[in-house]
Amino acid sequence: MADERHPSPAEETKRLYEEAETRTARAFENLVSRDSFGELLARMTENTVALTKIWTDIFDFALRNLRLAGRQDITRLARQLGRTEDKIEMLLQEVERLQDRLGVDARPGRTGDGRHASSGNGAGERPSGERGAAATTGSGDSS
Amino acid sequence: MNPIERLARAPIAALDFTNILLTQRDAAVAVTPKDVIWTHRETTLYRYRSNKRRHPVPVLLVFALINRPDIFDLRPGSSFVEFLLEEGFDVFLIDWGYPDEEDADIGLESYVCDELTWGIREALRCSGQDEISLLGWCIGGTLCLFYGGMQGADAVRNMVLLTTPVDTRVGVYTTWVGRESFDVDYVADGYRAVPGHVIDWANKLMKPVTNYWTTYRLLWEAVLDGQDRRAAYQPMARWIADNPPFAARAFREWITWMYKENRLMNGSFRLRGRLVDLSKIDQSLLVTTAGADHIAPPEGTHPLFDMVSSDDITRLDRPGGHIGLMAGSRARKEIWPDIAQWLRDRSDSTSPRRRNSNGNHRDSDS
Repeated sequence: MADERHPSPAEETKRLYEEAETRTARAFENLVSRDSFGELLARMTENTVALTKIWTDIFDFALRNLRLAGRQDITRLARQLGRTEDKIEMLLQEVERLQDRLGVDARPGRTGDGRHASSGNGAGERPSGERGAAATTGSGDSS
Repeated sequence: MNPIERLARAPIAALDFTNILLTQRDAAVAVTPKDVIWTHRETTLYRYRSNKRRHPVPVLLVFALINRPDIFDLRPGSSFVEFLLEEGFDVFLIDWGYPDEEDADIGLESYVCDELTWGIREALRCSGQDEISLLGWCIGGTLCLFYGGMQGADAVRNMVLLTTPVDTRVGVYTTWVGRESFDVDYVADGYRAVPGHVIDWANKLMKPVTNYWTTYRLLWEAVLDGQDRRAAYQPMARWIADNPPFAARAFREWITWMYKENRLMNGSFRLRGRLVDLSKIDQSLLVTTAGADHIAPPEGTHPLFDMVSSDDITRLDRPGGHIGLMAGSRARKEIWPDIAQWLRDRSDSTSPRRRNSNGNHRDSDS
């Protein structure tokens, strides 16, 4: 029978520590999954949101009194831009639908029947790029 | 290494450890070259460059509304996108961007009826194909189900769902946000874009010791042992810390409809007045669950099998966590090849859209 290697004191300490850590982790997981913890979390979330709101309102109020654009002003402007983009998108889709129906395409690399000409990478595909205009992200891009 | 040696190594290890933590934001993630195909508001559709495309049916990757889709392309050598490209797939990815307060009015219906629908349309136009495979992960999978349940999704040949929440009666999330005392309206009105770090904090709180202590202890021990963990640790840590906000309306709807009312299971889920009827989904379906998933536990996904009308359903129940299943060190050898094989068998241009019409239901638990 092969000799059983006895763990060194350091190894034994590590094993005991890891066991304790696993038990603690399990205990905490049980704790956070309790109803009482859920209740606590709900109250805490409300308080955090309330504090954030108060802080944001005060800060925005101060900026506006300094005649500077506050977060609300920027949000309003950005929302307006978003609405404009929505309309442009709908318009572009309508144009593309009409192009498909008419079998016409102004973009290079497409055939007259509305399907895309092959670029060698796959059957009948359109060259990559945002609505025909090349927009490329490469190495290092993390978007 | 004996204790004396470890002690002697501790100062340099401490410097290494600190450096790994301090520079994790600089780690390169999502570096596979890609082209922007279409954008609308915060949403961007990408197509990955490849000269190896062999399978005509393209794959569209749909990630959750929390965290970033970079996890699909974490780092060279450990990238699911890279793997799919090597396997000859034409890969598209829809990126929901970073919604902010101005996007507070974006609801689930906008994500499904507009962004996802238009993204699929643009991917099909770009690839010149009539059908596509959807691969959704977490909330992304549920969005794919919404899409299929609303539209019937004729343009979708295959659906791959990874750790997707369907039935929310079980799980810690339900205990936290499904309760009456959690006022989701107050949170949504107060924030308008629920900060990503708040959601990240909640996610980490589900396993507090593991996330706030064990991860760092293991890194410290590896550094102390002289292992080079930088390349493996940093991209994942950067991805975990990169949390876009959750648009207020979408957040309100997601919490209310999924966790408080469980509408998908009750058959009362409506988007823009149209019923999301999962029985309309008759695509080939690959459903993958992770045994140790605390965010979308397997028992919350399995009821889906009785709700869809697909004849071709493959089920993979695997060990692992919500993210570790697809992005862990073993994913490349274990789960990715299975997904690629499943897609390969169903991405032939000549193959009929519906396979196994004789009602096969294959389980491949492992």
